[in-house]
Amino acid sequence: MPSICFYFQVHQPFRIRNYSFFDIGTSHIYEDEQKNREIMDKVAEKCYLKTNRKMLELIQRHQGKFRISYSISGTAIEQFEKYRPDVLQSFIELANTGCVEFLSETYSHSLSFIYSKEEFRRQVQKHAEVIKKYFNQTPTVFRNTELIFNNELAAYIEDMGFKGIVCEGVDRILGTRSPNFLYRSPNTKEIKLLLKNYRLSDDIAFRFSDRGWKEFPLTVDKYKQWVHSIAGNGECVNLFMDYETFGEHQWESTGIFSFLDHLPAAIMEHPDFDFKTPSEVVAAYPARDVYDAHDFTSWADMERDLSAWLSNSMQQEAMKQIYSIEKDVKECNNPEILNVWERLQTSDHYYYMCTKFWNDGDVHKYFSPFDSPYDAYLYFMNIYSDLECRIKAFKKKARRDLVKQLKDSVPRAERIEAKIVRKQVLQS
Amino acid sequence: MLGWEFPPIINGGLGVACHDLSSAMSELADITMIIPKSSPDFKMKNMNLVGINTIDLSSIENYSESKLPFELKTIPADLNPYYSEKSGESASFNASSGIFSGDRNTPKTFDIDHLYGGDVINKVMQYADITASLASKMDFDVIHAHDWMTMLAGIKIKQQSGKPLVMHIHSLEVDRSGVGSRGWVYDLEKKGMEYADLLIPVSNFTADNICNHYGISRSKISVVHNGSNIVKSFRSKRKFKEKTVLFVGRLTRQKGPEKFLDIAAKVLESNPDVRFVMAGVGDYFKSMLEKSSYQHIGNRFHLTGFLNQEKLRYLFSISDVYCMPSISEPFGLSAVEAAQFGIPCVISKQSGVAEVLSGSLKFDFWDVNKAAGSILNLLSDPVLRKKVVEDASKNLNNITWDISARKIIDAYAAKQFI
Repeated sequence: MPSICFYFQVHQPFRIRNYSFFDIGTSHIYEDEQKNREIMDKVAEKCYLKTNRKMLELIQRHQGKFRISYSISGTAIEQFEKYRPDVLQSFIELANTGCVEFLSETYSHSLSFIYSKEEFRRQVQKHAEVIKKYFNQTPTVFRNTELIFNNELAAYIEDMGFKGIVCEGVDRILGTRSPNFLYRSPNTKEIKLLLKNYRLSDDIAFRFSDRGWKEFPLTVDKYKQWVHSIAGNGECVNLFMDYETFGEHQWESTGIFSFLDHLPAAIMEHPDFDFKTPSEVVAAYPARDVYDAHDFTSWADMERDLSAWLSNSMQQEAMKQIYSIEKDVKECNNPEILNVWERLQTSDHYYYMCTKFWNDGDVHKYFSPFDSPYDAYLYFMNIYSDLECRIKAFKKKARRDLVKQLKDSVPRAERIEAKIVRKQVLQS
Repeated sequence: MLGWEFPPIINGGLGVACHDLSSAMSELADITMIIPKSSPDFKMKNMNLVGINTIDLSSIENYSESKLPFELKTIPADLNPYYSEKSGESASFNASSGIFSGDRNTPKTFDIDHLYGGDVINKVMQYADITASLASKMDFDVIHAHDWMTMLAGIKIKQQSGKPLVMHIHSLEVDRSGVGSRGWVYDLEKKGMEYADLLIPVSNFTADNICNHYGISRSKISVVHNGSNIVKSFRSKRKFKEKTVLFVGRLTRQKGPEKFLDIAAKVLESNPDVRFVMAGVGDYFKSMLEKSSYQHIGNRFHLTGFLNQEKLRYLFSISDVYCMPSISEPFGLSAVEAAQFGIPCVISKQSGVAEVLSGSLKFDFWDVNKAAGSILNLLSDPVLRKKVVEDASKNLNNITWDISARKIIDAYAAKQFI
C-alpha cells in the first residue's frame, strides 16, 4: 500500500544589511530589519496564512486521512514570533489536529554538520526545544539544511536517537533504483532514509506554472495518474518541497491552491494509496536496500551537491572564518554574541555569494537581497570583522575582571608585603 | 588652455591637477580654459572658464570639420581607455551607428554625459572642431593642452593660428594599458607630441616613458612636477584596534591593486593585527574580493567602494601607513595627500611622486617582500615612522602649485613663447 509523504520546508533567514567598512566598530546592527519584516509580511499573506488555512481545511475534510509534515527553521520561528505571531498560531492549530508532524533540523538552517559536530548537536537540540515548546512534539525524523546528506550524517544522527532522515534521491547514487522505497545507509543499525522523489516533487514546486513544459497545464487528473502508476512498485512517494511553493513561488493565479484542494481526494480515489507523515512511513515500511552517499549530496541546483554554498573562494573563506571563531564565541558565554554568530551561519548568506550561472541570473539571484554575490561577500565579511572585534573586547574585559577578582581575593596588606619581597629579591 | 576633466566633474587626479594648476597660473598669466562641460555654479576668479556645452554651435562662425596635418586611421573597435566601473567590461562602440564612418551629423550643442563614455573618441573630435572655431576669435600666445583628450584640439588650433603648442602630460596610454599598448589613442599621443613644441610631463618617470615608448627627443621635454593644495589634516580615533594600511585609487591594472593584496598577505603572515583598506572602484573590484578570499585574508582586507571626499579624508585620518604600489604612475597625488595627513608612505619607484617625496619608503612595484617589510617596520618602529613623516612634511613645502606654475611660465620663456 503506497503512502504519499508530504514534507514542506519553512525557512526565512535574517538577511544582513549593506554593512560598510565604516560601520566596523561603530554599529552592531547587522540585519536589514525592514527588509526582513517586509518579506515576512509578504510571504505570510501570500503563502503561510493561506496555505495553512487550506491544509487545516483539507485535514478536517478528510477526517485525519490527509497527513503532512513540516520542517520549520529556528530563524523562521523567531521571525514569526517577532513579526507575525498569527502565522505561528496557525501552525500551532495545525499541530493540534494530530495529523501534522514536525521534523528536526539545525536551528539556524546552517551547514554546521560539515564544520563542527559540537555546534551541529547544539543547534539540533536548540531546535528540538523550540518545536517542543510550540507544537508539543519531539521530532524523531531529521532533515539537514537543504537536504545536505552523506553516510556519516546518517550514522551520526542515528547515534543522536533519530529513527529516520530525509534526503534527496540523487540519480547518480540510486542508479536505476526507485526513490519510492525506504533505504538504509552503510554502517547504520536501524535508521531509515526517506528519499525525495524529485521528479514528482519538482513537477509541483518548479514546473507547475511553466508554460514551456510539455505537460503544462498540470491538472489534478494528470498528476494523480503519475502517482497511481507507482502502485505495485513502490511503498512511499516522498514529495518534499519549499512551503513557499504555494502562493509565493507559484502565485495564486496559477491555480496552485485549487490544485492542492483537489489533490488529496484524487490520490485517495485509488484504494491502495494513503497519506503518511515521515515517522509513520518509517514505522510502516522496511528499508529495502543500501543508499551509499559517500560524498555530500543536497537538493540544490542541478549538481545536487554543496556547490550552491561552497563552490567559490569567497564562500569558502566566509564559512571557514565563521567556524574558526567557534571556541572564542562560546568562551564569551554571552547570549547576544552566540545569537549573532548562530545567525551568521545561516546557509542563505553563502548562497547569495554563489557565482555559479551568475550571468544567466537564476534562482540564486531571485532569492538574493544583494546586487551581486560580491556585495554579499563584502558586507558579510565586514560584519564578521565587527563581530571579531567585539569578541576580542569581550575576552579582554573578562580577563581584566578575572585579574581584579583574584587581586581582590588577596588582602591588601599581603599584596604590599609580596611586592616588597619581590623588590628585595630583584635587587639582590 | 584646453582641459577635459574639470571640477565639479572629476574622475581622478587629472581634474584636480588641471584646476589647481590653472588657478595658480592665473596669478601669472591670463588664462582662458575651454572644457567640455561646465557648471553654472562653478566659477573661478582671474580666469575665463568656457564650457562648450553652453555654446549654441550655430552661433559660432567658421565651425567646420577641418583636416588634420597628419593621418590617423580610425577603425571601429572598442577603444575606450577607461573601464566602466559597473560591469568591469569596457563600454563598447556601436559600430553600426556610423560613429567612425565620417558622416558625423553636426549637432546643435555639444552634449557629454560621461567624460570617458563609450563614444569618447567621437566627443574628442567634436571638442576639437568646436574649440578650434572658438579659438579663431581669440587672442592668445600659447596653446596649453592637457592629455590626449584635448590634443586634437591643440593641434587644430596650432594649425590655424601658428601659435606654439604645449602639451601637458598627466597620463599616457602606456601607463594605463601597459608599455606594449598601441592603438588610436597611442597614435594620437605620438603624433600629437611630435607636433607639439613643448612637452611638460608631470615627472621624470613620465618623461622617460615619452622618450622610450614614443621615440620623442628629450630636448622638447621640460618636467614640471605637480603641486598640492594645503589640506587641513586631522586625526580620528579608529573604531577598531588593528592598525590600518590604506590604498586609494582606481582598482585597475595600472594602480597595482593585486600587488597591494600580495603585500597585505605577506604583512599578515608576520602581523595578523593589521587591516588593509582599498578605497576606490574599478574593473579589478570583483577579482580583488575573490583573490583576498583565496589568500584567506577576507577578514583583514576591506573594499570600501567609491568614497566622497569627506569619507576619504576620514579614512586618511585613521590610517597608519599609505601604500601606493602603482605599476606605472605619472605622479600620484594621493600619496601627497597621505603625507599631508602625517601618514608615512610606502610607494612604488614607478611613480612620479617618488621623485619629490624623499620622505617615503620606496620599492619596485614587483618587490612585494620589500614593501611588506617596509610596512611592518613602519608599524612597529616609532623612530623610523617619525623620521619618515618629518622628512615628508619638509618635502611638502616644495610641492606646491605656485612652484609648478612658476616653472611652467619659465619653460615658456626659455622656449621664447612669451
